[in-house]
Amino acid sequence: MTDLFNPAKATSIRLPKLRMSRAKKRENLYGYLFLSPWLIGFFGLFLGPGLASLYLSLTQYDVLSPPQFIGLENYVRMFTEDDLFFPSLGRTFYYAGLSVPLGVLGSLFLAIFLNTGIRGITGYRTLFFMPSLVPIVASVVMWRWLLNADFGIINQALSAIGIDPPGWFSDRRWAIPSLIMMSLWQTVGGVQMIIFLAGLQNIPESLYDAAAIDGANSWQRIRYVTIPMLTPTIFFNTVLGIIGAMQTFVAAFVATEGGPGFATWFFSLHIWKQSFDYWNMGYGSALAWFFAVVIVLLTIAQLRLSKHWVFYYGG
Amino acid sequence: MSTLQKVAALDYQTSASIRRRRLTGKIITYVVLTIAGLIFAFPLFWTMSSSLQTWQELRSFKPHLLPAVPQWHNYVEVFTVVPYARWMFNSFLIVLITIPGTILTATLTAYAFARFDFIGKNVWFTLMLGTMMIPRTVTLIPQYLLFFNLGLINTYVPLTIGSWLGGGAFMIFLLRQFIMSIPHDLDEAAIIDGAGPFRVLWSVLMPLMRPALTTVAILTFLGEWNDFFGPFIYLNRMELFTAAVGLRFFQYLPLEGTDPRDHLLMAAAAIMTIPVLILFAAAQRYFVSGVVMTGLKV
Repeated sequence: MTDLFNPAKATSIRLPKLRMSRAKKRENLYGYLFLSPWLIGFFGLFLGPGLASLYLSLTQYDVLSPPQFIGLENYVRMFTEDDLFFPSLGRTFYYAGLSVPLGVLGSLFLAIFLNTGIRGITGYRTLFFMPSLVPIVASVVMWRWLLNADFGIINQALSAIGIDPPGWFSDRRWAIPSLIMMSLWQTVGGVQMIIFLAGLQNIPESLYDAAAIDGANSWQRIRYVTIPMLTPTIFFNTVLGIIGAMQTFVAAFVATEGGPGFATWFFSLHIWKQSFDYWNMGYGSALAWFFAVVIVLLTIAQLRLSKHWVFYYGG
Repeated sequence: MSTLQKVAALDYQTSASIRRRRLTGKIITYVVLTIAGLIFAFPLFWTMSSSLQTWQELRSFKPHLLPAVPQWHNYVEVFTVVPYARWMFNSFLIVLITIPGTILTATLTAYAFARFDFIGKNVWFTLMLGTMMIPRTVTLIPQYLLFFNLGLINTYVPLTIGSWLGGGAFMIFLLRQFIMSIPHDLDEAAIIDGAGPFRVLWSVLMPLMRPALTTVAILTFLGEWNDFFGPFIYLNRMELFTAAVGLRFFQYLPLEGTDPRDHLLMAAAAIMTIPVLILFAAAQRYFVSGVVMTGLKV
């Protein structure tokens, strides 16, 4: 007992356990020193603004007068009063639901053909990769001309062979398919395809040899060796693709400004319009948070589902 | 025929059929790849061709695959109709500010995550990866209000400050993976020789990281060059526009009695794409290695 009250003895017994070794201290000091630029950014540009927008989502805020707390009213409003809410969400799913699977399948298809060991792969790969290098605004400008209803080369070609061509970006039904076509042109030969090629090159040759001994033809080799071995890569490309496609803004905004007649009014356009055109910063924040939750839930759902179809070789 | 001859004949037949099947396979592959290549290349070809035609040629009801006489002056005219030179310069300026920022601060962050064992490291690392999943719109409104209150609208600060504060989770993750693949013995040898943590990073790791840092620089260039949303939100004075925002502005510029400008728009789109293509031609392998480094290790 007395020892506890004897500072000399107490420290000599207790502190060595609590005090970090010099090496540990150094690790912490330098660790946090090197981390500090990112930490400042994390708090100042991510966590702080994230929490601020969570608060703003519970307010009415038009920038001119201070935010007024209105509870969950913004969240109620989006489900009950906002006529563009469900349609824009639906359009976003329509766009992502078509462009991502088609893009992933297209990339996989081309990668398999490129991986057959023929000569001239580098040339083809470069050719396929080029469209993904085109800045998205430049790509929209090109495609608006390509798909111009009257003077576009595609419609002139279609008319020449006797097909009555659609108005593409100026046609409500064809505006989203036009955007999907453009996105496929940019994604199919791009990063996704390169990731698939790398994945294909990592498949051990012995698996194909074993399949050949069992008498598998080339389709069966793809179906029972290539595809299962590539499921982690397919999964990776799909998850990233969906996160990106759900947030599509620039293509739709630059091509059609959400039109014609709200035909390409995706959810991110809706958030932007409410926040930066109508200056409903409170409602815009609520929409943004709702959307973030949707995307996170979608990603978690895909992770859960992946256990049923993604195959990890040797893992 | 002896059995041996029969077997030889049979063997010859099967190998011939295998060879024939291989040949058809090869032909199909080439046909598929060539058709795909034509589809991918056509929009680029059409842009180039259109950019060199006159507007009368473009608006005739019989399309011209190639210009009668290449109108090279279209490329000059773009710069007189809109301040495209200024916009290109602005885009380059932003790239020049963000590349060193990303290289410096993403490397420091990656170094901390890869080589130091500090309290809370796993929590920070998980949070960092989590930032990749959250849409930009969630933080955008308060960020905008913050920069607005600091009087930084119509400056490049909102567009470049992130690159000096870590440079984004993706870049950090890429560099961290790369540092982790460098043997720890190299650090330790330098430490025994009396090197401190900065020295180890600067003299041992950074030289080895050159391929990864090149990849980071290229990805930063592509990201900034392509970025539309940031400049669109934060810049509303025309002379501050970047090429991406300027090109859209040009597209919606009303004609007001002037001739159609499709040929000039195509030239402007091509001008904006050329720097990316040059970069790709000069450093193609880094485009691919960066993708593979990040794509396959997640």
